Order: sequence, then C-alpha cells, then structure tokens
Amino acid sequence: MQKLGEARRIALLGGVYANAHALEAVLADAHARGAEAVYCLGDLGGFGPHPDRVFPLLRGAGVACVQGNYDEAVAAGAVDCGCGYTDPRDNHFARISYAYTLAQTSTEHRRWLATLPPSLRVDLGGHRLLLCHGSPRQINEFLWESTTPNGLLDRFCDAHDADVLGFTHTGIAWHRALPSGRHAVNVGAVGRPENDGRTAVRYALLTATPALTVELVSVDYDHETLAREMEAEGLPPEFAATIRTGWWTSCLESLPAKERARGRY
Amino acid sequence: MIPRVAFRELRSVWFQVTGTLCNLACRHCFNASGPRDPWLASLPADVVLRSIAEAEALGVRELYFTGGEPFLHPEILPLLEAALAVAPTTVLTNGTLIDAGLADALAALAARSPYSLEVRVSLDAATAEDNDAVRGRGTFARAMAAIVRLSARGLPPIVTSVVELGGPISVVEWGDPPQTPPAGQTPLASETRPAGQTPPAGSLWSGRARYDELRETLIAAGVDKPRLKLLPVLPLGRCAGRAGERRLTPEDLEGFDTARLQCTETRVVAAGGIYVCPILAGLPGALVAGETLAETLTPIALDHAACVTCHETGVTCRN
Repeated sequence: MQKLGEARRIALLGGVYANAHALEAVLADAHARGAEAVYCLGDLGGFGPHPDRVFPLLRGAGVACVQGNYDEAVAAGAVDCGCGYTDPRDNHFARISYAYTLAQTSTEHRRWLATLPPSLRVDLGGHRLLLCHGSPRQINEFLWESTTPNGLLDRFCDAHDADVLGFTHTGIAWHRALPSGRHAVNVGAVGRPENDGRTAVRYALLTATPALTVELVSVDYDHETLAREMEAEGLPPEFAATIRTGWWTSCLESLPAKERARGRY
Repeated sequence: MIPRVAFRELRSVWFQVTGTLCNLACRHCFNASGPRDPWLASLPADVVLRSIAEAEALGVRELYFTGGEPFLHPEILPLLEAALAVAPTTVLTNGTLIDAGLADALAALAARSPYSLEVRVSLDAATAEDNDAVRGRGTFARAMAAIVRLSARGLPPIVTSVVELGGPISVVEWGDPPQTPPAGQTPLASETRPAGQTPPAGSLWSGRARYDELRETLIAAGVDKPRLKLLPVLPLGRCAGRAGERRLTPEDLEGFDTARLQCTETRVVAAGGIYVCPILAGLPGALVAGETLAETLTPIALDHAACVTCHETGVTCRN
C-alpha cells in the first residue's frame, strides 16, 4: 500500500477522454487547493481529439494512474473499447471513438498504458483507500449513484480491507457516506461534462481532517477550443455538441432511469 | 456431454411474482403465460420479502420482478417499495394495466428511493397492426399510452422488443455514421431491412429495422428519452421446438467467456423454489437444490435449448 506520509489532501480524477484542456485546468485547480498528490482512475483516451496530448500532462505532474478499460483496450489493440455497452446506438458511437483513439495513440504511449495497474491502495491519514476504474471486481462495471446498493459497497470494502472506494467509468460524479461509516466516491470525468446542462467537468478532493471529507469540485475550462478541435478531427458532431451544451448525446443507453431522466436526451 | 458452468457471484435476483398469470397471451411468449389456468403459481408476499432480505445480505446489485404480468399481483406496489429500499429494481410489464393512477404510484415510489426504478414495457412492433398480431388486439395503444404516461412523470421506461436474430445481438449493425445528425436525435438511418421487403404482418423482424422504427415511433409520440432493448425469440413456451434439438457441448465453451451467461450471476425465486435463470424459471429441470438463495449458488448444467440462444446471441435478461 502506498502511504502518503503526512499528506492530508489528495485529488482523484478519471475519465480524461483525451481532453487535455480540461485536464490542465483540473490539475491547476487541484494544485491551487493544496492537493499533495493526484491520482487518475483511468480512461485517458476516447471521445476527445489528439489522445497523445494528455500523457505528458499526467506524467509531468507525477499523477499515478490506474488502468481503465479504454487504456487496457488501446494498449492491447483490442477489437473494441470494452466499455460494456449493450445498446447498438451506444456501440455505434463507441466504435467511431475507439477507432480514432487507437489510430492516434503513439506506440510509446500504448506501451505505457499496458504498464498501468488495475488498482491502487493509498493510506490517507489512516483512511484506507482502494482506487480502481469501474468497480473492484470488474474494470467496466458501471457504478451509478442510483444503481449501486449500500450492501454491495460494504461487500467490496470487506473484500479489500478498504474504508474508502474511489472509482469512475460512468462519467457522473457522486459521493455517498455509507451507514457503516465508509465512503464511496465516483470521481466523475475530466473529459466530458455531466449531462447537467453545464460545460464544467468534475473531480474529487479528499481531505483527512482527520475525519474524511469528500468534495466534488467543478472546474471550467476552454471547452470551445476543445469542441473545435473535435470538429477539425472529424469526430461526430454529437461529441462536440455535448462539450458545448453539457448534455450527453451519446452513451445515453447505459444511463439508469434516474440519471437518464435528469438529462435532456 | 452436457457442459457445466460454475457460479460466479450473485448480482441479480428475479421474482416471478405472478407466475404465468397474465392478462395477455402473446403468440411468442416463452413461458406461455395467459389469463387462464396458469401453469406456474404466483409468489406469496412473505416469500418475496424474505428473499429480498437474503439478497441484500449477499450483496446483490439488482432486483427484478416479472411474471406473467407483475401488476396483477395484489401486493406488487409494497413489494416494489421493499425492493427499492435495498437495491435498484426493475419490473417487466406489458404496460396495458398502467393507467394514470398506477403511473402516479410508480413515479412516487421511484422518487422516494435513492435507487432507480426501471419499468420495462414490451412492444413487439412499431405499428398497432404488427404488434397486435403478436400481442393481442388493442395492446399497442395501451402500451404506448403507458410509455407516454411514465415518460411524462420522469420515469422513462425501457421498451423491450422481441426480434428474430441470426447471430449475436451485439452485431445489430449500424453502418456508417450519419452525415448531418441533429444533436441528440440522430436518426442513424442506414442499412435496415433488405431492400424492397416489408415484414409480413405479425412477424418478428430483425434487429436494426425494429430498433430504428421503434425509436422513431417513440419520439413521434412525444417520448423524449427513448430507451430500447432487443431480445431474441426463445425456443420454449409458445415457441418451443424452434431451435431444434441442438444443445451446447463442452466445445461450445472453449474460448467463451462464461461470465456472459446470466446463470453464473443470477437466481430466480418462483413458485416451487429457486431456479437457474429467468427464462427457465418454473421448469422442474431448472430447479436448483436448496432452500435459500445462498444454498443455490452452485454450478449448473447448460442442458436446455434456450442455453443455445443465450450462447449464440449473447443476450441477457438484464437491463
């Protein structure tokens, strides 16, 4: 387990989706808020343009990364992204995004993705964190707020000797303090807004006070530049529309009823 | 030799609450449900409540209610409420009984729970003529009305539709991306049904055409968040014998990810005991030895014709 010495505050981010502009803004925000370490829970590429641009930002900032399903697929040159979609419309957009990302990611970066671990253990002021991409048992399991029972989260904590679970994969952040005193944190996505009509993206700030506090932080960034880059790269107009409006136009079918009802589409 | 699969972990528990009691008698119904002389009895509420508690203790991820028609169960609303207290819950319905009052009650239940309530409504074609030839006269209009009612109450249902499939359901092909799609309402019209052919009335047509037609029909009816799930025809009940005599062999499982098979992660509580999967619930051969859920999380034999359908199409009964 990685111990953080005297560290009291860390940042958790995920779902970068090749959004270098948002990643830069989030890293700067976390630094300004006094985060002593930053962890990325995977999915560096997909959806956005120029996937190679996020690697130097993460490595330059010393961000420890967990492997996401996208990273695993791109590293291996797999036939699809392994996102876990079941709907043909979701898969239609996933194929476009994956083909682009695979073709645009350098061999060096693909090799690096292959070295990422499936999970990380961190001790934050005595709180034992398990950081993973989808869930502790499955890299592409969707842990939405409205479909993740407390009993399941406690079971994960028991199985992994953890007090705090950090994960991403769905793209919408949430935090729940469990009746058992533990915490579950979906750190959201840096790469795409949250289907709430706002263009900001989110990450999580965890502070040991010594009790654990979890803050889901919204960060604005230059989304218009990103949208233009997506268009210039020939990515689907639906993707740029999401960046500009904050409403999801793809990956909709994986949303459960509550999360789907909150969106526009 | 019949192949066997190990049980992985309990992710979902299903309740066949009304057995095979249904107000409809659809031509393709895989468990031959209907209004008269159901061959499988309903579940008493206390059995359901006991199993919900056990499922929670086992770390279940999702709960499902099916039948028959679940809304014929006199205690369905309190049972859904009990389920929603511990896990996201789905109810599979033909929609024909969801009037304004029931839609209000479901929306209220959903709003009270931190977990999603999913309502799955069956519709087997995009027109009344084709749908009603399979599901019965008037069912299209009543199901569509339910879908619109639920959507208007912030409870967008998942419309499920049975289609003929010649291969994996994930390979319902999508062709090239459309050129100028309006955001959020992409028509995605490209390869659909074979040129010049239209489905005969009452037939179950293949996936992509059905998906497109249903999506367009729902949007035209004012459903702003159309959700669709395609399911294959299953070779049992009123479609028994369609798959022929073929059964899975150990060779079929070589290089196959058995985690894709729902029987490795689910169990079904129905009259008579606990069964391997939602499709085979109630059949004596699908009964698993054991009184409690925990006792039934054991390896099972893939010895039914429907196992071939799951293996070939990759379909699961999950949302």
